[in-house]
Amino acid sequence: MTPAPENLLHRPLTTPKCTLGCPLLDRCLAGGFPCNSITELFAESGCGKTQLCLQLALSAQLPVSLGGLSGSSLYIHTEFPFPSRRLHQLSHAFRSTYPAIFKTDPCDSIFVHAVHSADQLLDILPKMESFLSDPKTHLPVKLIVIDSIAALFRSEFENSPVELKRRSSLFFKISGKLKLLAKRFGLAVVVTNQVVDLIVPEGINGMRIGNLACLYSSGRRVCPALGLAWANCVNSRLFLSRNEEVEKEEKGLVDVDANRVCTRTRRRLHVVFAPHLPEGSCELVITREGVFGVE
Amino acid sequence: MEVGRLPISASQRGKLISAGYTTLSSLSSLSPSVLAREVNVSDTEAAQILKVASHGSRLDGSEGGCATINGAQTAWDMLHEEEMFPRITTSCVDLDNILGGGINCKEVTEIGGVPGIGKTQLGIQLAVNVQIPVDYGGLGGKAIYIDTEGSFMVERALQIAEACIEDMSESDGLLRKDFKACQLKMHPNNILENLFYFRVCSYTEQIALTNYLEKFISEHKDVKIVIVDSVTFHFRQDFDDMALRTRLLSGMALKLMKLAKVFSLAVVLLNQVTNKYTEGSFQLTLALGDSWSHSCTNRVILYWNGNERYAYIDKSPSLRSASAPYSVTSKGIRNSASNCKRIKMM
Repeated sequence: MTPAPENLLHRPLTTPKCTLGCPLLDRCLAGGFPCNSITELFAESGCGKTQLCLQLALSAQLPVSLGGLSGSSLYIHTEFPFPSRRLHQLSHAFRSTYPAIFKTDPCDSIFVHAVHSADQLLDILPKMESFLSDPKTHLPVKLIVIDSIAALFRSEFENSPVELKRRSSLFFKISGKLKLLAKRFGLAVVVTNQVVDLIVPEGINGMRIGNLACLYSSGRRVCPALGLAWANCVNSRLFLSRNEEVEKEEKGLVDVDANRVCTRTRRRLHVVFAPHLPEGSCELVITREGVFGVE
Repeated sequence: MEVGRLPISASQRGKLISAGYTTLSSLSSLSPSVLAREVNVSDTEAAQILKVASHGSRLDGSEGGCATINGAQTAWDMLHEEEMFPRITTSCVDLDNILGGGINCKEVTEIGGVPGIGKTQLGIQLAVNVQIPVDYGGLGGKAIYIDTEGSFMVERALQIAEACIEDMSESDGLLRKDFKACQLKMHPNNILENLFYFRVCSYTEQIALTNYLEKFISEHKDVKIVIVDSVTFHFRQDFDDMALRTRLLSGMALKLMKLAKVFSLAVVLLNQVTNKYTEGSFQLTLALGDSWSHSCTNRVILYWNGNERYAYIDKSPSLRSASAPYSVTSKGIRNSASNCKRIKMM
């Protein structure tokens, strides 16, 4: 078979995207998480990575007219336990928002699989392929979440050149396979990553990946884990930050009792790099009902 | 002697060049009807071009006969050809300046940098800019975009195409030329139509496509740029046999170089960066190893300097090493914003 170029006018002029279920967050990402590519979401623990991924797994089931992919999702978790109670809570809120669309529990369209090691992830990728081509549900799978990729790689490998080489070769293998699946089935692939502290303030010259100026979380400068090789494996990179901010309103009280300074957690979603997005950010809050942007 | 020195009209010359006829020898064996069809001129015009061309080549012969071996050229001819051939602008004046006017045809240019620096953006920009019509100082050619990473976003290409057309109509307002005809020809959708997009999902596909390109381009002579984004991705997985990888890569590089020469087109290879362990410290270099670095005519490295993006000429036979700032805007690659401010302040 001779390769033929794709006619760019024969496919939609904007890449299909999966809504996050919030118009403000969607605006920040120009519609949501893009299909046919890998989006990385990195943050320190407790910033809402898993929250956002769970919400995404639900909103992917929305019809295309509401910004969803009308598809089910495959949720691969590597950190234990799987937050099934939170998922139920979210799905309950989600059903009451869209009572007309969901006759059955949306949790039925989220397939959860646990993975313990990098090799195991590589092993199940072919199984995923056969699962994707013949799904068991009425909705085709349109979203793969891996939460988190970092947990698989941060413990198992030693800090020797041979091991690091094996590690980065695994990165490219996994990413290549995921991109192939994303392309073939029109999937949105989301992977979460942890952070490491940035030791050298400016990095070695030219060492900086993306514009790191914005990457402050909990008052520290951070950068995504897994290094340069992994950074080459993702198409887009998003960052969730959390910073404590002192509220100025209770001025009178501060004099009486210095310990009663009120602080508030401010969370933001940042676009670090993406082929279709400018750098930007959006503030968000996490409530009982899910993750929402605020202006 | 090349087409550029023939006493024919500028538009005819442009049509000939964009159809791939750059030398008189390439015209010598053609019939008027074939030429008329290939370069889209009337039969009488084509006949006249061939007459002038055959006269020119006879003149060439009497001047001393440089073509002792078929296909050989004198350095003098090559220099003229190089000067005459338009370059593909990057839409950033500073970047064009250090590149000697833009990306050169007949050469393989490698562009590398950290993720998020704007490699794909530059790739899309070049794929659009190669289509700027001859009347506007462009090549009026088509582009081949080989996407190995899945980072090509069609909405971004459309956005850059719209901005490019907008800029052209603006410059036209300044020059008060007749724009109507070109405006009809240049629509963002046309730009997407003239961008041949290939998505490859493995290194075997990548090699197969590289081998097939020669046939494809000989059927689409107006292709003036081939962009591979990135050349690296599939070659960093699944290779235990590094010697095999080196052989495959150099074979592919040779094929691409040949394409650049034979069809007078620009080849742009985007590359990733990696850490290299030398003399006890890690340094940042372009990926694929030392032998690969011989595969390209020019090598440009993109890097962060403060909050600005910079490009640096790392290797080139004709350009001096220099660096220049650029920025990635909603319109595509443009001059660095702070640099504009500096000029305004002066």
